[in-house]
Amino acid sequence: MSSSTRWTIVLVLLAPAVVLPLLVGIYARNDPELWGFPFFYWFQFLLIPVAAVLTTVAYQLTKGDERPPEHEDDPVETIR
Amino acid sequence: MNGVAVGVFVFLFLLVTVLGFAAARWRRAKDLATLDEWGLGGRGFGSFVAWFLIGGDIYTAYTFIAVPATLYAGSAVGFFAVPYTIVVYPIIFLFLPRLWSVSHRHGYVTPADFVEGRYESRPLATAVALTGILATMPYIALQLVGMQVVLQVMGIGKESDNWFVKDLPLFIAFAVLAAYTYSSGLRAPALIAFVKDTLIYLVIIVAVIYIPHHVGGWGHIFDTVGKSFTDFNSQNADAIAAGKATPKATMPPDALHHAYWTLALGSALALFMYPHSITGVLSTRSRSVIRRNASLLPAYSFLLGLLALLGFVAIAAGVKVTNPQQAVPQLFENEFPPWFAGVAYAAIVIGALVPAAIMSIAAANLWTRNIYRAFINRTPTHAQEAQQAKVVSLLVKFGALVFVLALSKDFAINLQLLGGVWILQTLPAIVGGLYTRWFHRWALFAGWAAGMAWGTWLAYGVKSPTQAHFGGPLVNLPWSDTTKVYIAILAFALNVIVAVVLTPVLRAASVPDGIDQTRPSDYTADLGDEEVQPELDPEGATH
Repeated sequence: MSSSTRWTIVLVLLAPAVVLPLLVGIYARNDPELWGFPFFYWFQFLLIPVAAVLTTVAYQLTKGDERPPEHEDDPVETIR
Repeated sequence: MNGVAVGVFVFLFLLVTVLGFAAARWRRAKDLATLDEWGLGGRGFGSFVAWFLIGGDIYTAYTFIAVPATLYAGSAVGFFAVPYTIVVYPIIFLFLPRLWSVSHRHGYVTPADFVEGRYESRPLATAVALTGILATMPYIALQLVGMQVVLQVMGIGKESDNWFVKDLPLFIAFAVLAAYTYSSGLRAPALIAFVKDTLIYLVIIVAVIYIPHHVGGWGHIFDTVGKSFTDFNSQNADAIAAGKATPKATMPPDALHHAYWTLALGSALALFMYPHSITGVLSTRSRSVIRRNASLLPAYSFLLGLLALLGFVAIAAGVKVTNPQQAVPQLFENEFPPWFAGVAYAAIVIGALVPAAIMSIAAANLWTRNIYRAFINRTPTHAQEAQQAKVVSLLVKFGALVFVLALSKDFAINLQLLGGVWILQTLPAIVGGLYTRWFHRWALFAGWAAGMAWGTWLAYGVKSPTQAHFGGPLVNLPWSDTTKVYIAILAFALNVIVAVVLTPVLRAASVPDGIDQTRPSDYTADLGDEEVQPELDPEGATH
C-alpha cells in the first residue's frame, strides 16, 4: 500500500467520527429507546466507541508510516 | 458537615499534596531549572502518563460540575459536551503530531513560539500569546468555582461576611497547589492526575450504577425528568412566551440544532488551541504517543456523558438546590454513605487542582517565552527562564484566586465564555501554519483582530433572563431570527474570510512576508530522527 493510499484511508476512516456527531437532526428524537434511554442519548454514547475504534484503526495504519507523503507539505518556495 | 466525609476528604487531599512535592524527584532530571524540564516535564511522557495528564487536563472539575448543572437546569443543549469530546480526537490525530514535530525540532515551548518561527512576526506571536493568557486566566478561576461549590456542599468554611474568612479552606488548598507547582513544575499535575482520574472513574462508575438503581432505573429517571420539565413549561407558559424564562427540554428543540453542533465543533476546534492542552501534548515523547492517545482518550468522553446525566438523576432523586452547580455534589451527599461522599468530594477538588496547575504552567510558559523573552530580557539563560515562569505561575494563580473571591463569580464565568471565543481566533495562525505558508502574516493578524472584536461584541450583546450582557454563548445567525449558533464559530468564520481576502492583497502590494525558520521535513520529524532527541537538548537552536 502506498503512503498516499494509506493517508486517504485514514481520512476516510476519520471522517464519520467528525461528521456523524454533528448531524443533530438524525439523532434528536426519543425512539427507539434502549434500556430506558431515549435515542438521543444512547446514540451519542454509541458514537464514542465507534469513533474510538475508527481512530484506533487509523493509528494502526499510520504506525508503520508516520510520514504523510511529501507533497502534503507545502513547499514555501512555490509560493514566493 | 459530616466528620467522616471531611476526614476522608482531608486524607486524600494530604495524599496528593505529598505526591505533588515528591513529583520533583519523579523521572528526575539533571537540572530542573530549564523551561523544558519545569514547564514540559522533560518532554518525555509516554502514552500511559500522557493519557492521565491530557485527560486530567481537559476534563476539568468545572466541566464535571457545569455540564450536569445545565442538564439539571433543563437545558439539553449542555449535552453538546459529548459530541464535542468525540469530534475533538480525530482533529487531534491529524494536526497535533505536526505541531509536536516542528516544536521538537526547533525547541518551541508554546504555540506562539511556533507562530514566531513560522511567520517571523512578533505582533502575531504576541497576539497568540496574549490571547492564550487571557483565555486561560478565567479558566483557572473556574476551577476555583468548582472547588468552592464542593466545599459549600460539604459545609466547610465559616459563615462570614469577610471573603477571606469564608473562603479560608479554598485559600489554603490553592496555596498548597501553588507551592508544589512552583517546586515540581509539570511533573506535579502529571503525577497527581493518576490519583485524580482513579478517584473520578471510581466515583462516576459507582454513581451511575448505584444511584439510578436506587432511584428506580434509567427509564423511570427519564420519565420523571420529562414530566417535571413539562410541568415547568406549562406552569411558566406566560413567562416563557414573554421571554422571561427558558423552556426546559430533555432534547434540543429543532431551533437549537445548529446551536448544538456549532457548540460541539467550535469547542472541539478551540480545545487544542488552549495553551494548557498544547503544553500537555508537547510534553509527550513521540508523535505516536499523541495518535495512540487520540484513540484512548474517548474513554473520558464516556465518563463525561454519564456524569452529565447525573444532572437528570439529581432531578429524579428529588435534589432541590437553587444553584444548579450544587446539584451533583448534593446528590452525592444525599445518596452516598459519608465516607464515599468524602471520596467523591475529594475527586472533584483534586480534579480542579490538576488542570489549574497545568493551566498556570502553560500561562507562565507563554509569558516567559513570548512576553518576557520577546520584550524584557532578550537573551535569558535557561535558569532565568525557568525562574521567571515559576514566579509567574504563582502570580497567575493568585490572580485567579482574587478574581473569584473578591470579584464576582459570574464575571469569571462570562470571561470563560469569552475565552472560548477568543482562543478559537488563534486557530488560523497555528493550524493554518502547520499545513501551509500561504497565509500572509498581516492577513492572519487582521483576521485575528476582526474575530476577537466581533466575537466580543456579539457576546456583549447576548441577554439572558438574569443578565443584560454576556448572557450565553449563542446568537442568532445573521439574517435569521430563529436560528441560533455559537458565537465562536461566527467570529472564526469572519477571521478566516479576512485572512483569505487580505493575503493576496498584501502579496500584490509586496508587503514583506517574513522568513520562515521551518522546513517541510520539520513537520513530520519523529523521535530518533536527526535533531530530535528523546529529552530535548536545551542548548539547541531556537530561532
